[in-house]
Amino acid sequence: MGPHKFWTWTCALALPLLVLVLVRAQATPKTPNHYVGSETCKTCHPDVNLNFYKNPHYKSIASGKEPPEKTGCEGCHGPGGDHVAARGGKATIGAFSNFTAQQTLDTCLGCHSKDMSRAGIRNSPHTEADVVCTSCHSIHKPATPKFLLAKQQKDLCYTCHASERAQFNMPSKHRVNEGVIQCTDCHNPHGSVTASATNSGNMGANSAMLAPAFDNEEPCLKCHVDKRGPFVFEHASVRVEGCEGCHVPHGSTNAKMLKRPVVFTLCLECHNGAGTFGRQNTGVFTTPSTHNMLDPKYQQCTLCHVRIHGSNSDPTFLR
Amino acid sequence: MRTSLKFALLLTPVLALAQQTVAPTADEATGPARGENAGSYNIVQSWELGYRFATIGGDDGKYRSDVNYGNGIRLLSSFLTVNSRDGHGHWFDEITLTTQGLGNDPYESATLRIQKNRLYRYDMLWRSNDYFNPGLTVANGEHLEDTTFRTQDHELTLLPQNWFRVRAGYSRTTQSGPALTTEQEFDSLGDVFPLFRDLREQYNEYRLGADVTLKGFRFSVMHRWEYFKEDTTDNLTATLQGTSVPFGGGPTDPSSLSTFSRAQPYRGRTPAWLANLYAERKWLAVNGRFTYAGGRGDFIQNETAIGIDRFGSSQNQQIIVTGNGDRPVVTGDLNITVFPSSRISVINVTSISNTRITGNNEYEQFSNATLSAQDLNFQFLGVRLITNATDLRYRLSKRLSFFGGFRYSDRLIQSTEDLATPGSPFDGTSAQQTNILRSGVAGFNWMPIKDLTIHAEGGIGRNNNPFTPVSLRNNSLINTRAQYRKRTYSLTAGYQENYNNNSISITAYSSHARTWNGDVSWHAKSWLTLDTSYSKLHLDTAGGLAFFAGTPRATLMTTPESIYVSNIHSGNLGARMPITKRADIYIGYNITKDTGDGRASLAVQPTAIAQVFYNVQTFPLTYQTPLVRLSVQITPKLRYNVGYQYYGYHEDFGVLGYNQSYRANTGYTSLLWSF
Repeated sequence: MGPHKFWTWTCALALPLLVLVLVRAQATPKTPNHYVGSETCKTCHPDVNLNFYKNPHYKSIASGKEPPEKTGCEGCHGPGGDHVAARGGKATIGAFSNFTAQQTLDTCLGCHSKDMSRAGIRNSPHTEADVVCTSCHSIHKPATPKFLLAKQQKDLCYTCHASERAQFNMPSKHRVNEGVIQCTDCHNPHGSVTASATNSGNMGANSAMLAPAFDNEEPCLKCHVDKRGPFVFEHASVRVEGCEGCHVPHGSTNAKMLKRPVVFTLCLECHNGAGTFGRQNTGVFTTPSTHNMLDPKYQQCTLCHVRIHGSNSDPTFLR
Repeated sequence: MRTSLKFALLLTPVLALAQQTVAPTADEATGPARGENAGSYNIVQSWELGYRFATIGGDDGKYRSDVNYGNGIRLLSSFLTVNSRDGHGHWFDEITLTTQGLGNDPYESATLRIQKNRLYRYDMLWRSNDYFNPGLTVANGEHLEDTTFRTQDHELTLLPQNWFRVRAGYSRTTQSGPALTTEQEFDSLGDVFPLFRDLREQYNEYRLGADVTLKGFRFSVMHRWEYFKEDTTDNLTATLQGTSVPFGGGPTDPSSLSTFSRAQPYRGRTPAWLANLYAERKWLAVNGRFTYAGGRGDFIQNETAIGIDRFGSSQNQQIIVTGNGDRPVVTGDLNITVFPSSRISVINVTSISNTRITGNNEYEQFSNATLSAQDLNFQFLGVRLITNATDLRYRLSKRLSFFGGFRYSDRLIQSTEDLATPGSPFDGTSAQQTNILRSGVAGFNWMPIKDLTIHAEGGIGRNNNPFTPVSLRNNSLINTRAQYRKRTYSLTAGYQENYNNNSISITAYSSHARTWNGDVSWHAKSWLTLDTSYSKLHLDTAGGLAFFAGTPRATLMTTPESIYVSNIHSGNLGARMPITKRADIYIGYNITKDTGDGRASLAVQPTAIAQVFYNVQTFPLTYQTPLVRLSVQITPKLRYNVGYQYYGYHEDFGVLGYNQSYRANTGYTSLLWSF
């Protein structure tokens, strides 16, 4: 193809395209939306502006260095030019009440995605159930100055997790209602970063959005450090299946938050010698013939097996 | 200012709405305008000082285990915020301080945040919990604990809004106090002796790390130094004739312990590294995480016991154990999220963790200082877990979305156990097994009408080789929730079901858990609110047993089964209403009632062993806590509060012969000063 033909064909193709672009430009005379600045928003929204200096998001305004799309009202709600021109209205601005769950998530993660604690938010059960940022956080009417929660943390979680609320009202429980423990001590509401939840071997049937310890250990061990070991003699089920094998972590009607009202049924349900269970594939060994279960002493297994979480001295956890 | 103060004071009791203990809750801070300006700062604070009282009838130990409020003057709560009004404070832009229960409440806490925009942020959390447990039903009352658990956490971030930031932290946890433990000496069939325990545990952790953000990537690295030490000692305070348990050794057992002491210092340390890389683009988000922790614990135990064994012979025994345990842990996680379109998300998470626990000890036992026996122990437990989970989400419309996922886990457990004497060959028992779990879940989120959301999901899982007889093998779950939410009220209902069947040829285990719940919240006005919820938690399990029992000689028994049934009804009510212009009242009620399996009494069973297991198949009880709180405005800045809460705990049958029912009247009066 010579240069003449090349230019002929190029013009023949490009001309209609140019015409099409010009026609579309004529047909859509709308001017692009533009940023107006937070001072403009204050005119109609003084109540929001009044206390905004206490809001963590005020940092972006105070710095004065952020670009318009990352500061003040428009940092979250988008450019307000159309909104001002239309004299208000939710249709002309990024109103979170009109957002889909995905839009809310995307907007907030525009700035907040990079913290490690939120790295698992895309795969969290909360996101899966359309529980996103504004379901729990109230940016303009928070009940807590830290994290801008819409309610006190436990009340917020209880809104959906009624059965957990019931468990924390039981006699034997972690002291969440008493204010000394919070849900986020053990859970990461933004999702766990690991599919296996814990390195204790939990196979991850349900990650429960656990907030594992530094090396993916069960969160229980963050406080109960004496149960952590390493022990010469680990109670293998504790390390492999986790604390939930014997305990109900939120609360229980049984002492020590155990799954059963007494210890011996809890122990015997595993120690029955059946199947291929246990660390040697031969079943979890039964109690010896000297342990007459009619004897009240042997009904209280931990009376002798005092180091049941793991021992450095004795394979049967006697000392 | 007057208007805002009135508003704030009206709001204070509202925030107490959901509280379940008679105690103030943290005040709100960043809502409506309030506080006083001082220079370029705004200050908001409230202080509630009062007296708490409690009178207890019935089992005081169980009350202290469940509730534990006592008498005395308390700073029930305090709240302080200082905010820079222009975001350019000299030394700081924000101080937030909250406290609760200071002055000897069993549950004390304090939080502090100090920050200067773009320069630093410091967060502190301190908590203290007085823990009491009589241990009646787990150890015959001989594992009593009366300890204090304290934890503190400090986190300092330098340049928190910068592309490069530095993070440093320190955490400390201690547990100390008197306790009881037990020891079986001389013979595994003899009496058990209760010992006094001086519990002393301490954990310290130091952290240092940095985050770097470059070209849309954030790289984080952190190193941690962790130290744990335990210096608990066990001692005998008087000559003991053994435990009060009447069987086994029992009254005819001549065992006694005249001298006993035990020290078992333990020192553990875990240096660890964490690295994290995060990046997000319009169609892709990636997070990679790697950790390594090299845990190690060194210990020694020295135990001396002098007494008489169950055959009447004098015993003088010393046990010395030395050794160490190691636990290197490596984990890696890779999260990849792809957004092929605005309607579809595909998430894949791959995790791997490898834990190798090795431990050995040298166990020396001397009898009468003449004969000695020595054992060498070694154990290894390795858990390698690889998990891959893939989820797909599809949004059909603004009101309807679907999701589904599949998870695959491959777990390898390796084990070696050896017990030998010096000079003998190492011939430990080794084994390894592989467990594979496959599970799937699918569900939808639907908004049929505005403000009504319905979430439903179902899942199924199969584990080919569970580790214990009660582990998940063939399990299924259903989870549904419907919520209708308006500005002033919300209605929520939910149902959850979780079944597991771990049946094998000799014994079987099955577990059925079903939960129903409903919640109604009404916030008609700031001064008229109602919150009520009800949950029913049903659990029934059946597990196969094999144990020895019988008289005069114990024989192997495989019946009865271990059956446990609980039907827990839990109700919660909270309502706030004004009674005059200056006073409002909050009324609350909580009840937990386990109706068990419906039996009215413990029927007599045909055999003694059947009776033992029949008695613990269910544990019906009632636990209820009504409360009332009155708050009266004296001046715009001062309120008088009085609260009362009753705790009633009633066991229908008790367990193992103990009935730990109690009732307690607790309350407080206080003055709340806020501005």
